[in-house]
Amino acid sequence: MRSIPVADQRSGSGMGDAAMARARSTEDVVVGDEIVRERLSARVVHWIVALTFFVCLFTGLPIWTPYLGFLAHLFGGLHVCRILHPWAGVAFAVASVFMFVQWVSQMKLTKADREFITPKGMLRYFQYRNEDADVGKYNGGQKLLFWAAALGTVGLLITGLVIWFPLEFPQWVREASYLLHDAAFSLFFAMIIGHIYLGTAAEPGTFRSMIRGTVTKSWARLHHPRWYREVTGEKAGG
Amino acid sequence: MTNGWVDIKNADVILVMGGNPAENHPCGFKWTVEAKRTRNAKLVVVDPRFTRTASVADVYAPIRPGTDIAFLNGLIRYALQTGRYHEEYVRIHTSGPYIVGDKYAFEDGLFSGFDPAQAEYDKSAWAYRADPKTKAYQVDPTMKHPRCTLQLLKKHVERYTPEMVERICGTPKDQFLKVAEVVTSTGNAQRVGTITYALGWTQHSVGVQMIRAAATLQLLLGNVGRPGGGVNAMRGHSNIQGSTDLAGVFDNLTGYLATPRGELTDLKTYLKAETPTTLNGAPWPTMNYWSNYPKFMVSLLKELYGDAATKENDWGYQWLAKVDGNYSWLYIYDDMYRGSSQRAGGTEPGPEGLLTFGFNPVGVGPNTSKIINALSKLKFLVVGDNYQIETATFWKAPKEYGGPDSSQIKTEVFQLPCSGFAETDGSFTNSARWLQWKWKALDPPGQAKTDQEVLARIFLAVRDLYRKEGGALPEQVLNVSWNYTDPVNPDLGEVLKEINGKAVTDLKDKDGKVIKRAGQQLDGFSQLQDDGSTSCGCWIHSGVYTEAGNNAARRGTQDPTGLGMHPDWAFSWPANRRILYNRASADAQGRPWDPTRPGIAWNGKLWVGDVPDILPNSPPGQYGAFIMNPEGVGRLFTPSLNDGPFAEHYEATEAAIENPLHPKVTSSPVTVRFHSNKDVYGTRDQFPVVCTTYRLTEMYHYWTHHTNELNQLQPGFFIEIPEELAREKGITNGSRARVTSARGSIEGVAMVTRRLRQLTIDGKRVWHIGFPLHWGYEGDPKHVGPLANFLTPSAMDPNTWTPEFKTFLVRLEKAS
Amino acid sequence: MTADGLEIRQSSASVWGSATELRNLKVVSKLIDTTTCIGCKACEVACQEWNDLHIVPTTQTGTYQTMPSLDANYWNLIKFREVEESGFFAWLLRKDGCMHCADPGCLKACPAPGAIVQYQNGIVDVNPEACIGCKMCETGCPFDIPRYSAKTDKMAKCTLCVDRVQVGLEPACVKACPTGCLEFGDKAELVAVAKARVEQLKQNGFTQAALYDPPGVGGTTVITVLAHGDHPEWYGLPKDPQVPVAVSLWKNVARPLAALAIAGSFFAMVAHYLSFGPKTPKEGAEKPKGDKPA
Repeated sequence: MRSIPVADQRSGSGMGDAAMARARSTEDVVVGDEIVRERLSARVVHWIVALTFFVCLFTGLPIWTPYLGFLAHLFGGLHVCRILHPWAGVAFAVASVFMFVQWVSQMKLTKADREFITPKGMLRYFQYRNEDADVGKYNGGQKLLFWAAALGTVGLLITGLVIWFPLEFPQWVREASYLLHDAAFSLFFAMIIGHIYLGTAAEPGTFRSMIRGTVTKSWARLHHPRWYREVTGEKAGG
Repeated sequence: MTNGWVDIKNADVILVMGGNPAENHPCGFKWTVEAKRTRNAKLVVVDPRFTRTASVADVYAPIRPGTDIAFLNGLIRYALQTGRYHEEYVRIHTSGPYIVGDKYAFEDGLFSGFDPAQAEYDKSAWAYRADPKTKAYQVDPTMKHPRCTLQLLKKHVERYTPEMVERICGTPKDQFLKVAEVVTSTGNAQRVGTITYALGWTQHSVGVQMIRAAATLQLLLGNVGRPGGGVNAMRGHSNIQGSTDLAGVFDNLTGYLATPRGELTDLKTYLKAETPTTLNGAPWPTMNYWSNYPKFMVSLLKELYGDAATKENDWGYQWLAKVDGNYSWLYIYDDMYRGSSQRAGGTEPGPEGLLTFGFNPVGVGPNTSKIINALSKLKFLVVGDNYQIETATFWKAPKEYGGPDSSQIKTEVFQLPCSGFAETDGSFTNSARWLQWKWKALDPPGQAKTDQEVLARIFLAVRDLYRKEGGALPEQVLNVSWNYTDPVNPDLGEVLKEINGKAVTDLKDKDGKVIKRAGQQLDGFSQLQDDGSTSCGCWIHSGVYTEAGNNAARRGTQDPTGLGMHPDWAFSWPANRRILYNRASADAQGRPWDPTRPGIAWNGKLWVGDVPDILPNSPPGQYGAFIMNPEGVGRLFTPSLNDGPFAEHYEATEAAIENPLHPKVTSSPVTVRFHSNKDVYGTRDQFPVVCTTYRLTEMYHYWTHHTNELNQLQPGFFIEIPEELAREKGITNGSRARVTSARGSIEGVAMVTRRLRQLTIDGKRVWHIGFPLHWGYEGDPKHVGPLANFLTPSAMDPNTWTPEFKTFLVRLEKAS
Repeated sequence: MTADGLEIRQSSASVWGSATELRNLKVVSKLIDTTTCIGCKACEVACQEWNDLHIVPTTQTGTYQTMPSLDANYWNLIKFREVEESGFFAWLLRKDGCMHCADPGCLKACPAPGAIVQYQNGIVDVNPEACIGCKMCETGCPFDIPRYSAKTDKMAKCTLCVDRVQVGLEPACVKACPTGCLEFGDKAELVAVAKARVEQLKQNGFTQAALYDPPGVGGTTVITVLAHGDHPEWYGLPKDPQVPVAVSLWKNVARPLAALAIAGSFFAMVAHYLSFGPKTPKEGAEKPKGDKPA
C-alpha cells in the first residue's frame, strides 16, 4: 500500500524513502504519515541482540535436552554448539550492554507504568481495554521487558561463565549455576515469545518500527497515545 | 634369606627392621600381605620413619637410626626374662649348652682380646672351652653352667632393660613392650615368626652385629629352619645375591670360597687354612659340610684353567691373584685418591686405570667428593653402562662436589654402551636364592653390546697381546679356559653350564659303577671331587644346569607341601633347598615342631618334605642341624666375627650421644675408617641432627631418573623433615631446605611430615631426618638432583666393609 | 573408548533409555583393600601404559603423591594422607579413580547423547566420539573423577579397562598390583571377600572397619575396604556421596518446568491471538502502512 516516489528513494542517498532517511539518525519526528520511532543504530543493536540471542538459543537447546538435539545439525553438531554457545553468549551480553545504554534513559518507570504492570493493568492491556491509558513511547510492559532482559542477561552471563569454566568455582556455585542458567533461560525465552508475538501478530504495525524505524500515526495513537501527543502536538483520540 | 619370599606366608609374626619391603620389595611383600590375610599374621615394623611398610603394619615402633642392636638385645632380654623362648629348640639346635673358654670376657664396652694399637680383636680369646681329656666341645645340656653361651648371653643382655632401650633408641617403653610381646609370641613350637631386613641393617658400622643379634633372637625363639621363620635378607637388587655368590666381593671366590692370601703359598697350605675343623680336629658327630672345601676349590680351579690345571701344578692355584690386604672397593678408591697403596707388601703406586661395569661409584660410594677426586687421578677409565652415568662424566661434576676443574683432569674416559637387563638372556638370583632364568625382551639398541661380549672382547684382545708380546705372569691369562661356541660373545647358558660343573673324566661310585661319563653335567655338588675329575664354577650353584637341562628355566608351579616351596620352579641353591637349616624345623626325634608347617620330617628311613639340609638318610641325632658349622648347631655366640661374639650396642661413627652403656667406648672400637684429608667426621655439637638415607619404590637406584615415566611418579629429590623441627627452622612443606654434613652440603625440596618424630634420647631431644638417594647430575635436566652420598661417611663395618650410609650427623637449615 | 558388543544399560542424554538383559552379563567389581595397599604406584604405571597415556609433567612439592589430583592423562592416582587423632597416627593410602557408580552422576549430568554410557556389567565409560567437552560430568560426579583434556576438548577417566574386561582379563591396575590389595571379579563374590576382610579387621581392633559401597549412588562397581570406615573423609572419600541435587533437580524438575514455561508462553500467545486477534485501530483510523509482519 506504500507509494514511495522514486525520486524520494534516491534522495535518501539511495536508501529508502524520506522517512527512512530521517530514521537513520533521528527519533520522535513526524515524516508525513509516519513517525520515526527507532533510529538506525537502535535497530541495529536490537537485531544484533536478537541474532546472538537466537544463536544462543539454538545452540543451547540441543545441549539442554536431547529432544531438541536435531537443532545441533544447524551448526554442525553438538560439539560445535558447545563451543559456539558460550562465545555467542558473550556476544549477546556485549550487545545487550549497548542496548541497555541506548534505552536505559527511556526506561524509567512512571506512575502510570507501575499501574500498567500490575496484574490488573496487564490483564487490561491484553484484553485491549487500555485505550485511554496514558502510555508514552514505551509502555510499562516494554519497560518491564527491558529490565527483565537486562537482569536475565546478567544472570545468564554470570551463570554461563561458571558453566563455561566450572573448575574455577566451587561445587555449590556450579550446581547453582546450572539451575539458575536453566531458570533464567526458560523465563527469558518465555518472555521473548511474548515479545515477538506482541511485536508481530498481536499488534500489527509494530514490527516495522524495528525494520524501517517508523510507525504510522494511527499506530502511535493507538498504542502510545501520550508519545503520539508529544511527537505530533495533537490531542489524543484524534 | 634362610627361607624365601613365598615362605613368608607361613609366618605368624613378621618383624621388619632395617628394611622397608613395601617400598623396596613390593613384589616380595605380597607374601607378608598373604600371611596377614590368611593367617591373620601380625606385621611389626620398627623403623625411624613411619614408612609405607608401617602404613600397613599391625604394630609400629619408632627407633633412632643405628640403634637396632639395643632394641634387639632388649627383645632377647625380654624373651629370656619372661621365658618366652623355645627352650627345647635352644637345647638341641643351638650352641646354648656349649661352654665358652675362660679367656672370653666383656667389660666396659670391650670384649676380651682387644688390641688398641691395631684396633682389632684377637678372636682366639673367644674360643669354646675344650674338654680337658677329649679336647672336644664341652656342653651342659641343662644350660645352667655359668659359662654356657645361653647364660653368657643372658648376662650380656641383662643391661638392655626396656628403660635402657627407650634411653638409647627413643622407643617409648610401652611401644617396645608391645613389640616384644608380639615378637616373642613365636618362642614356642606352635608359632613361627620371621625377621626381614635389608640395607637398613647392613649399612652401619655395626651392620653385621645387627644381623647377628637378629639371628640370635630367632635361634632363641626357635624360628630358624622352620617354614615361616628365618633370618631373611631382602637383597637390594634383582641380582645382588647372584653377584655375591659369584665372587662379587674381593675376599671371596665363587661360592664363598676364600680368596687366597699372599702367605698361603700353595694349595695345601691354603686348604688347611680355609677348611674349617672341629675344636679337636677330630670328626665330631656333625656333617661339618665345609670339610668338603678341597673338592669345591679344586673343581673351581679345574673350571678356570681346564686342561692346564693338573695335580702337579696345584691345579693352577699359583695363577690365582693373591691378596695382601684389604681390596674392598673403597680401599681401592682410597689408594686411587692418595695415589699410593700401603699394604702388607709395602708401598706401591695407586691404580692407573679402572674398568667399571654396571656400577656407578660416583653415585653409590660414600663421600662423593673423595670418589670424584679419586677418579680424576686415573689415567684411564672404562665405563660400561646403558646410560650416561655420573661416573662416566665425573670430570664435569658440578663444582660443589669439590672435584678438580675439568681442565686439570687428564683421565681418558671410554664409555661403552652396554645392554640393560631386559636386553640379554641370563639369570637373576633373588633374595630367596633362586636362580631364575630370563629371556631377553629386545635387542640392545644401536651399538650397545652385552656385558659378556664387551668383557670377552677385552679378554681376547689382552690374551692376543700376551701371545704376541708376552708380559708379566702370562699363565694367568693364557691358561684361562675359554671354550665357548662363540668366544667373542659367550652364550650365558654355556656359562651357567660351567657354573654347574661337569665330569672331566668318568665318575664312578663306590662300587665302581660309572655315574657320569666324561663331559656330562653334574647333578649337584655332592658329586664334586678334589682329584681333578670334576670342574665346577660355583659349587653352591651346582645342580642348576644338569643333564636334564637348565633348571633355572623351570616354571613348574606344583606345591606338594602346600607351603609354597614349589620345588619345580627355577633352582634354589643349595641343592634346590628352599629352607636352609630345615633340620631345625623338627625336634630331636625328627617330628616337625608344628605338624601343620613341616619343613622336613623323619619317616623312619628318610627325611621328607623340603630338600633336607642334612644327609637324607641320617637318623635324627646323628648330625647337628647346622651342617655348615663344625659344632653342628646354631650359634648364640659367634667367635668368628671381627667385632665380638655377642652383639653390643655402639653408637654410629658420628655419634648422636655418648653411649649410655659405656661412655668410654661410644662407637665400635673396630670400625674401619680411612685417614685421607677427605675422610672427615662430624661431631654432635656442630651437626646435631641424625640423618639417614633410603630408596623409593618408584625409582631404581641411580638408573631410573633417566626414565621420564618414573620421573613422573617421583619427580625429584626431597628431604623428609619432622613437622616440629621444620617449624623450628622456619621450613615449610614444599620450600627448600639445606642439609650439611662434615663432608658436603645439599639442597632440596622439604617434605614436612608427621611420619618422622622427635625422639627423647638419654633425656635429650634428638631429631632425625632423611632423604632418598636416587638422583644425580646426569639425565633429564628437569629431573636432576643432588647426590645423596655427598653427605655420607666412609666409616665401615669391620666384617663386610660396608659403609655407614644409614646413620650420620648433619645440620639442617632453611635454604636461602 | 566404548566397547563394541557390550550391552548398554544407561546412556547419557538418551531420549528413550535402553532396555537390556538380552545377554546374561554379571556386574563386575574391583575391590580396593586400603589396609593392604602399600602405595607402590604400580597401578598408576600400569594404567598409563595400558591406556597409552602421555606422561604428565610433575614436580616435587613435598609429598609422595604423584600429583595433586587426577588428570585427563592420569586416571589412577594413589592419595597419600597423614591422619593423626589423639595419639593415633596413620598414613592412609588409597587408590583414587572412577568408582563406576551404579547411579552415575556424570552420566546423569552429561548433556551429550551417548557420551557417557554404563554397560550392563556396571562399567561407566566415556565415549570421546560423542563427548562435547562441556565438563558437566565433573559437576555431576560426587567423587571428583572426570577430567577435561584441553588437547582433545574431551573428558577422560578410568574405563575399568573395559577393553580388557571385555575379553576376560582383569583391569591393568589389578594385574599390576603386587600385594593383591586390588581384586577383580563378580561384584557379589567380591562383596563377600570384602566383608570377610572387614570382619578380620574388626577382630584386629579396627572396630569401625567397613566396606565403602555408598548407597547414595546406588552402590559402586569399585568397592573399598576401609579400616576407619566411620571416617571415609580421612581417605579423601565423601561420607555420603549422592548424585548432586542440582543434577537431579535440573533433569527432573527444572527442565520440565522450563519446558512448561516455554510451551505455556507459546500456547498462551496462540490462545490470545485466537481470542482477541490483532489489536488494530478502531473505525475511522487510518490504515497503517506495512501492517504485515515481516
